[in-house]
Amino acid sequence: MNILEANHVTKRYAEHTALNDVSISIPKQSIFGLLGPNGAGKTTLIRIVNQIIMADEGQVLINGEKLEPKHIGVIGYLPEERGLYKKMKVGEQLLYLAQLKGLSTPEAKRRIKFWLDKLGLYDWAGKKVEDLSKGMAQKIQFIATVLHEPQLLILDEPFSGFDPVNANLIKDEIFELREKGATVIFSTHRMESVEQLCDHIALINKSQKILDGPKNDIRNSYKLNQYEVTFKGTLQSGVSLSVLKEEVSDMGLNKAIIESKNGESPNELLKELINKIEVHSFVEIIPSINDIFINIVKGGQS
Amino acid sequence: MKQIFLVLKREYLTRVKKKSFLLATLLTPLVLPTIIFAIVYFSTKDKDSRHDEILVLDESGYFSEVFDASGYDFTYVTGDLEERKKTFQTEGAFGLLYIPSLDLSDISVTRFEGFQFYSETNPSIRTMERLERSIETRLEDLKLQRSGLDQDIISKLQVNANLTTYNITEEGEAKESNSGLSFAIGYGTGFLIYMFIFVYGSQIMQSVLDEKTSRIVEVIVSSVRPFQLMMGKVLGVGAVGFTQLLIWIVLIATLSTVGLGILAGNSDVLMEAASQQVPQEALTQQQEMAAKITAMIATVPVTKILLCFLFYFLGAYFLYGALYAAVGSAVDSLQDAQQFMFPIVIPIIASIMAMFFVLDDPNGGMAITLSLIPFTSPIIMMARIPFGVPDWQLALSMVLLIAGFVGAIYVAGRIYRIGILMYGVKVNWKIMKKWFTMKV
Repeated sequence: MNILEANHVTKRYAEHTALNDVSISIPKQSIFGLLGPNGAGKTTLIRIVNQIIMADEGQVLINGEKLEPKHIGVIGYLPEERGLYKKMKVGEQLLYLAQLKGLSTPEAKRRIKFWLDKLGLYDWAGKKVEDLSKGMAQKIQFIATVLHEPQLLILDEPFSGFDPVNANLIKDEIFELREKGATVIFSTHRMESVEQLCDHIALINKSQKILDGPKNDIRNSYKLNQYEVTFKGTLQSGVSLSVLKEEVSDMGLNKAIIESKNGESPNELLKELINKIEVHSFVEIIPSINDIFINIVKGGQS
Repeated sequence: MKQIFLVLKREYLTRVKKKSFLLATLLTPLVLPTIIFAIVYFSTKDKDSRHDEILVLDESGYFSEVFDASGYDFTYVTGDLEERKKTFQTEGAFGLLYIPSLDLSDISVTRFEGFQFYSETNPSIRTMERLERSIETRLEDLKLQRSGLDQDIISKLQVNANLTTYNITEEGEAKESNSGLSFAIGYGTGFLIYMFIFVYGSQIMQSVLDEKTSRIVEVIVSSVRPFQLMMGKVLGVGAVGFTQLLIWIVLIATLSTVGLGILAGNSDVLMEAASQQVPQEALTQQQEMAAKITAMIATVPVTKILLCFLFYFLGAYFLYGALYAAVGSAVDSLQDAQQFMFPIVIPIIASIMAMFFVLDDPNGGMAITLSLIPFTSPIIMMARIPFGVPDWQLALSMVLLIAGFVGAIYVAGRIYRIGILMYGVKVNWKIMKKWFTMKV
């Protein structure tokens, strides 16, 4: 079951097309990375899902239903450009934002207390936001995003501006929410920052989706059959392998990057290596999403 | 609807809870009359206390002891004009009035020339008018005497007539009216609307800008439609203005009732306070005055004026409030807002300037035209209403104003929904137009 499906979504502006026939499916309880460089169209897609803007063509389904105003309560959105009312007290502000999402006042108050307690901010409820440190304000923003217990959390560039301690804290909270059933979308241009968090990804470049699917499948399908070997002895290309690069490592060991010639399995490669050298380590090189992205974009250009 | 109400509530409460609101609301009805009183007091006091000297060089000999322009001392001098011109300043005099020798033998001469006034700085127009008036009166008196009438008859010939104005009501009843009071009400209500547009219009703009600069707006519009946000804001800030207005009306009504009450003669209190030093006559005079004022107020169609005022007040507020919101959404800072403020401010200022002419001629062509155009009608129509406006004009003006503010809200809403999400765009009119036509 997919919590979110975008089918052939297109959004045009006067001078350019922000999204061109983009389709993605986001499975329930996944952590989905919406990746691509700045200006690729990620924020446009997110804004469409949040009903801030409307798609020119295509449709968006939430839990199989056509996107409607009532789905506002299903989604928790932390935009890239985010802030709070500086002159408003923390508690009042969270209450206001929760009420806008449709929570009743007593329920909202209960949850605000819970979250402020959890993130150690309870004493600050009566303070104005301008009196808070930047890190605290970020935590408040996060609380505001999750207060109404959204099924779908959309975080646009979530870790930009977060200090590492807060970033980790928020990551833990996000995993916990996922355990409880929430689905999370990370949107970022810094692919390495969320790569290890995501289980599904979609790559967007120049208003088009260029790749999507489960992260591991993608990485496997872009495997280059390359391995890093540290060893003693001398290594030369052979029947099943060719040496791409060789260098001297420390402690009298050498290091090489080898490639299988005809898609031989690691075991077959090892068999040949063992006959030639003393193998100290043997690791398959799996490309990062960033590498895959660059690869595809460059391939597309040439 | 619930969303609009939530936004409205926040805008309202955050403002009303501020100490500055409480102070402004409670103090203005007290401070404003005090300031007006102080200005009047000091301007009269200033005049009384200044004793600049004006030298009078009267070669005709007719003008001894005629001048009485308050604020100046007159000293009669003799001698040569050229000489006096050079020396009067060093003698510490403010001015030199020269009256040439005059020939009054021919009674048919009506034009007299050659009066001159010398001073370092220009005297006020009032002073000049008084001096001219004094000279004219004196010459008129002299001519009347020459024509053979004696002073006693002359003073008997001077009369004083008062015109009492009546308005015929629809029932055919003649009601005593008072142009002075109509003027005051028209001016007062028109000016209130003017002030509120400025004060609360810029509050809306500031509020929109704050949401933009604090970057909270995208969080908000993920749960509220931009139009709802804008309307909630306009209504919320408007409700603040309305609250303030109501408190003022109540305060002023209470204060003036109490004031009139004291004037009218809570006689016992007054008597005691005066401890019989005030003659009985003065008291009855005061009572009469209070009765007159009360009667005068009773001639004014209070309910009609109040209802019209509320309507035009709200209409003007919605019309301009929406436009202010659009400007706030389009820019990144207050400085950038200036260029877009200009076309909004122009009709407001034009209205307040035209209001004086309208008060002078409440049923003239300009008055009628401006009281129909939605951008100027709130202020101009309020200036006209106390003088009486034909029903069809009032109805047309109201319909047009409703159309005007609905249109303004529509236009503003379309700019707003795009503007609030745009950062760092160098906005000009062309871009605004594009936003207006853009699909969301």
